[in-house]
Amino acid sequence: MTTAFETQLASAKWTFSTRRVDRTLVAGMDMAFEKARPGDLILAYVSEIGQHRRVQLESGRHSDIYPGDAVILACGARYAPDQFEGLAEILPQSADLLAGGGCIGRMVARNERIKQATRLIPEGRLLRADGAALNLDDFAVRVSARGDRIPVIAVFGTAMNSGKTVATAQLALGLRRAGWRVAALKGTGTGAFGDFNEYRDTGAHVVADFTDAGMVSTYREPLERVRAGINRLLAHAEDAGCEIAVLEIADGLFQRETAQLLADPAFQRRISGLVFACGDAVAAAGGVAEMRRHGVVPDVLTGMLSCSPMASAEALGATGVPVLGKNDLSDPAEANAFALRSGAEWRSAA
Amino acid sequence: MELELETPTTGSTVERISIATQAGPLATFVITPRRMVSSRPLVVLHGISRNARSLVRHFRAEAEHGGRLIVLPHFTASHWPHFQRPGHPARADQALVELLNRLAIRFPDCGGRVDLVGHSGGAQLAHRTAMLYPQRIARLSLVAAGWYCLPDMSMPYPYGLGESNARGAALWIRRKQTGLAAYLGLKIRVYVGSRDTERDPALRVSSALDDLQGRNRHDRARTYVDAVRAAALGHGRVADIALIELPGCGHDFELAITEAGLARMVAETSDMTPALAAAG
Repeated sequence: MTTAFETQLASAKWTFSTRRVDRTLVAGMDMAFEKARPGDLILAYVSEIGQHRRVQLESGRHSDIYPGDAVILACGARYAPDQFEGLAEILPQSADLLAGGGCIGRMVARNERIKQATRLIPEGRLLRADGAALNLDDFAVRVSARGDRIPVIAVFGTAMNSGKTVATAQLALGLRRAGWRVAALKGTGTGAFGDFNEYRDTGAHVVADFTDAGMVSTYREPLERVRAGINRLLAHAEDAGCEIAVLEIADGLFQRETAQLLADPAFQRRISGLVFACGDAVAAAGGVAEMRRHGVVPDVLTGMLSCSPMASAEALGATGVPVLGKNDLSDPAEANAFALRSGAEWRSAA
Repeated sequence: MELELETPTTGSTVERISIATQAGPLATFVITPRRMVSSRPLVVLHGISRNARSLVRHFRAEAEHGGRLIVLPHFTASHWPHFQRPGHPARADQALVELLNRLAIRFPDCGGRVDLVGHSGGAQLAHRTAMLYPQRIARLSLVAAGWYCLPDMSMPYPYGLGESNARGAALWIRRKQTGLAAYLGLKIRVYVGSRDTERDPALRVSSALDDLQGRNRHDRARTYVDAVRAAALGHGRVADIALIELPGCGHDFELAITEAGLARMVAETSDMTPALAAAG
């Protein structure tokens, strides 16, 4: 590796999705973008500012970006109805910043209320000394447990911004307050530090997302890989001595991977509790009906719905499922009931 | 954590610790014996007289005798005008759990199961807290509670687990129902003075309560023990519960300690106390 390349790497903005990467393994770079796979590390330069005016750094803070800035990101797809749909494809002349957490790819659809994607010019694909492309999968957390023992409370929702992350964080907070050693995990989505940091702020003992399982995004990944990623996160939680996990599943019930997981008998068997976040009573009724179609019923409803006593009453009447607000979820008495229902085994206050 | 150390005059050390909790600040006395033998801490909850400081005097000898850590929370009137029943006005259960979590940093055994004792209003808090967090309790000793949350549907919440219009009732009923099977598996000892039959102003009175739980603390203790036994049978198990009558005692906790040896009974790690053996 030349000194110039070393300088180039050192001065680049390493995005949040690359936080697990061992930079000492970077030995070179190629321009075989046609071979780029999801998770491959890409050095790119900002060419034109669009929707994203800043990126999320691995340190956990934002950084403004300017044309000419060097950024290290991971090639990946993105599914975000509020923003973009993008594929894990990189054209040599230009690419799109699909997510500020550090996802580079090709935008194929855009919510009309937002700007064009910030444009990037890919410089190269980072390589190991043996010439192989460096991929996030190489840096997935190492585990020894099987991940099949820890009780899991899954959090689904009707859509982006329906309240899933708040529900996940607040339930993790309640469990921690009740004395449980808890893991707050994000099983699917696109790598970003917003949810991750919100989980961390609760004092959850383990916080991790699919990036820790080697993926910058789970969009368009095969179900087996998504399931294996979740299992890896659960094994990581078990290795750390966690007694219970709260697992957020991104986007709405009809999103590709979310729908696959919901319909997956193995995943259904693996979860011991289910929280459903929704915005209003109609969404609650539709979502619960869809879940029932797959043979599962949420234990509670939450989300924006819970802010309105009237909407909550409507939802309870329509579904028969109780509605809890975020303060209920963070209440140790309520969270403890979740833990007891899920069969969590008490060892000692964490 | 604010800490005030009392100069040791005997083998044990008494500290007064104040912690901030989500539910409000909570002070507590912690008695550490010179030589720790038992691994299970004992938590003692005062009643509405809030006599935690006086109870320290009585339980200090028990800490030494049993070689166990004894924790006496002090729900002060200024911060805890209501502490007996977890609910909208106050969440003493949260404060208690948070206290144990915090103490576990210094005293790891506080993170495991503890023995919980409560007198009068403290017994109300004790059994309700144990219903919510049964996994944190090893032995529950209830001394002369004024009334109980029966572990069945015979009375509406908060007197039982039946439906009620009380604020938040559905939430609380569901939480307690969730932990009920584990609660009914706890070792529970119910103590009451043979002369604790006064209907004093502190005793909650209503026709429904009188009819279904009894007219005084003595009768209500017996009703509660029967209710726990029946509920446990309904869950397919035999309850480990006993009623221990304290001969000649009224409602005064300190008198029951000095005259009937109650502190020794509730602090004894072996269950084969003479009183228990006599209880039948």
